[in-house]
Amino acid sequence: MKRRAASLLLTILLTVITINGQTPSTRTNGNSRETSTVSVSLPNKQGNVRFLVIGDTGTGSDQQHELAKIMLRYRQAFPFEFVLMMGDNMYGSEKATDYKRKFEDVYRPLLDQKVKFYAALGNHDESNQRFYEFFNMEGQEYYRFKKGNVSFYALNSNYMDKKQIDWLKDKLATDTASWKIAFFHHPPYSSGGKHGSDTKLREVVEPLFLQHGVNVVLAGHEHFYERIKPQKGIHYFISGSGGKLRKGDIKKGSPLTAKAYDKDMSFMLAEISDEQMHFQVISRTGETVDAGVVVHQRKKNGNNRVASTSQ
Amino acid sequence: MCLAMYGHESEVYVGSSHLPQGASTLSPKDKVIFTAFEKRVKGYSKLREDLEGKMPKLSKEAKPEEIETHKKQFQERVRAARSTAKHGDLFTPEAAVLIRTIIKDEFKGRERVELRDTVLRESDTKAVPLRVNYPYPESQELLEMPPTLLLRLPQLPKQLRYRFVGRSMLLVDRENGLIVDYMTNALP
Repeated sequence: MKRRAASLLLTILLTVITINGQTPSTRTNGNSRETSTVSVSLPNKQGNVRFLVIGDTGTGSDQQHELAKIMLRYRQAFPFEFVLMMGDNMYGSEKATDYKRKFEDVYRPLLDQKVKFYAALGNHDESNQRFYEFFNMEGQEYYRFKKGNVSFYALNSNYMDKKQIDWLKDKLATDTASWKIAFFHHPPYSSGGKHGSDTKLREVVEPLFLQHGVNVVLAGHEHFYERIKPQKGIHYFISGSGGKLRKGDIKKGSPLTAKAYDKDMSFMLAEISDEQMHFQVISRTGETVDAGVVVHQRKKNGNNRVASTSQ
Repeated sequence: MCLAMYGHESEVYVGSSHLPQGASTLSPKDKVIFTAFEKRVKGYSKLREDLEGKMPKLSKEAKPEEIETHKKQFQERVRAARSTAKHGDLFTPEAAVLIRTIIKDEFKGRERVELRDTVLRESDTKAVPLRVNYPYPESQELLEMPPTLLLRLPQLPKQLRYRFVGRSMLLVDRENGLIVDYMTNALP
């Protein structure tokens, strides 16, 4: 019993990392409470695929800047290699000055640290964003890239036509990666009051995800965070409050919700090892609002499904 | 499920589009209308390809200034080449009738109500002018097109997109942002 308690204490100590040697403390800055301590509840192991998920960012607002500062602070403790953007990367006009104001100025410190951003397109994004140097889209509206044992599929849910469906089917059919993660703007499952589940999109993509063993689906569009209860073995997350917040929009008592947060803006950190995907969701105030593990069950039951999420 | 019918050779295919199971098949007359529509679309596509081919190619790692300049110059060239373009050039009355029928058939009951809610009330497209050969305002939302509908409409070349604005449906060039044509009363 004593040994278990000591082990637990050690784990807590290992995951609470103090920046610049400061003792844990809080200070107030404008509307947000900043903590000088970040608490990482992820394994944080070299060799694992470590990344950040954020959506609906492109406002250039003070709040987006505040969240970006928290992202930067967490990177000091948890050196994520890249960022997945769930779309709506640019609200309003898309002049050269907007790219700067709504993206580059906000994430400059991360760009300077060579953090790569991989974008999906949202309903507020022009197709030409696919050529933008910092979105790493290779000139394509939908594309795939690989990191370690993980394949990431960036899809354009704004225009899921036959060409894209055929492309996705072909790529998935020959993909031997252990983990397959799809990310795009519109959520197939959502408890949002304004938008809700995109059932027409789901009707088309879900059969492909099931057939080809997609483990995790990440989306935005809804300006809040939601972790959906696993649907047919697939884990769905919504991370759409990177630049805008729709406070109180999540339907209370929704049967879809495993965990939801719509009180403030947030982003998600994730880390994938061979058999587990750890995640931690952090708000603009630096509070951890959700954390857990998605377990890859392939080795247990012979297929490519994830079966459980634990917290 | 739409995907379940991909391998069904017995289904009637229109151009390269697929009709979901349960949908009524097209009559020979309707097929002629669709084929003619696709031909007109291809005509536009070739014109803009030729014009873009004469421009410096946009890099896959372009600066924002390069993206903005390319779009503007491309717009100017296509607008000049299509200075006489007018409403109904691509969406002829016959094609519009057929497309309305497909949309009406795809969205019934509750789905139709939801579609109308999304397009007419929730969307941020009210300031989009219905003017052929003018740009779709970049500050306005590009409303998601329902994938199941896209599988039933005539397939477009990759540079062109269907878009709902109010009750109308537009054909928009994804690169230069120009409204190529539009049809009214598309939404049931």
